[in-house]
Amino acid sequence: MSARHTKGRTGRGFMFVWGAPILLGVLSVFGLLAALLGTGAWHWASWITLTILLGVIVRYWVFPLKH
Amino acid sequence: MTAASTIKTWYWIHKWTSLVCTIFLLIICLTGLPLVFHHEIEHWLDDAKPLSNVPANTPPANLDKLVASALTMYPGEVVDYLFFDPDEPQVYVGMAKKPGDGQASGHAVRMDGRTGDVLLEGPLYTEDKFSFMGIMLALHVDLFAGLPGELFLGFMGLLFCVAIVSGVVLYGPFMKKLEFGTVRAARSTRLKWLDLHNLLGIVTLVWAFVVGFTGVINELSTPLFRLWQSTELVRILEPYKGQTVPTQLASAQLAADTAKKAMPGNEVSFIAFPGNAFGSPHHYIAWMRGDTPLTSKLNTPVLVDGRTGELTTVAKMPWYLTALEVSRPLHFGDYAGLPLKIIWALLDLITIVVLVSGLYLWIARRRATEARINELVKKHQAAAAPQRNPA
Repeated sequence: MSARHTKGRTGRGFMFVWGAPILLGVLSVFGLLAALLGTGAWHWASWITLTILLGVIVRYWVFPLKH
Repeated sequence: MTAASTIKTWYWIHKWTSLVCTIFLLIICLTGLPLVFHHEIEHWLDDAKPLSNVPANTPPANLDKLVASALTMYPGEVVDYLFFDPDEPQVYVGMAKKPGDGQASGHAVRMDGRTGDVLLEGPLYTEDKFSFMGIMLALHVDLFAGLPGELFLGFMGLLFCVAIVSGVVLYGPFMKKLEFGTVRAARSTRLKWLDLHNLLGIVTLVWAFVVGFTGVINELSTPLFRLWQSTELVRILEPYKGQTVPTQLASAQLAADTAKKAMPGNEVSFIAFPGNAFGSPHHYIAWMRGDTPLTSKLNTPVLVDGRTGELTTVAKMPWYLTALEVSRPLHFGDYAGLPLKIIWALLDLITIVVLVSGLYLWIARRRATEARINELVKKHQAAAAPQRNPA
């Protein structure tokens, strides 16, 4: 297998596994800090971003992916 | 180390750190549910007199009036602290039989902060521990075991954090060939719950780690305060060494005014009277909070001479107490109204599912392993049987 091919597969593999968890992690950090650093719109931003986590769980638990 | 043995090591770490802390984490998560809504529940169960019906701009009552009123109600006792409710215009006057005896004989009188009317004469703290919320708090914080219980649960919290980190390491190899969010519900029950355990765990990862880690810091609050008292506070109090609690105290209102003058734009959130177990024998310590969302969670101690009411110093908060104060809202989830509390409670429930599913997976795996061993033994016996009994 060529070096270019390996690199390409590794890069795709990393985001395939970690893309969604990284995005959810960033949303969680933002949601946790937003309400700590501001009020009003920041509270709303916090509620919305943290609710997205719950939405993701409902999406995949209640409506599993079709194989 | 090969990739397979690395995974095995992390699996071993994840299994044992989780197993050891699971029961205690379940207690913490279950008792944490009512504690998230403690303000609402206490309001609902509260049998105090309602706040006086006075205009909104009524100025606060003189603190000396509140102190004198409490001392009249409990002659022979001393005032231990004043706590100013940040949400309601009410003040808790902490009383004790003698200075520094708050934990043994302490109780609080709740007063209207504007009129000085007595709203509730609270029970002894030792009795309050057996109210519903008191039991929930004790189970959550120290399992009724005081400081050893706090340190033990802190260690369990630390194991929980290690379990989370090791879980993340294992998530990669598990999910290499599976799309994010895959739940193989049509396959075996064990596989379905393995996928759900992975899904719920990875989605709530950051929240669970933050709440777990800030919980560990909170469990260290008693030793951290003791550290501050025995190091930085000792240095500040060096000139007062050997002096006892003053018999004639300066006015509490004067102490509050001095502290406010020293920190303009800040509000007094708590005043520890001279002799308070977490304070100084010679000073009022006024804990001041800022007026921004973040600084309102950070308290700065201002030391006021207990005899003269003059400013001694504005103490610099050590980093570990700042970390403790920042960790509190991030653990309690009480810093953005009821919606955040509801989200906190739902994430707490999901963490319970992660814990229980982890336990189920361990039991199911053991059963599967045992069944496989039994099968191998049977096969081995069947193969050996004709040799033992030749025809």
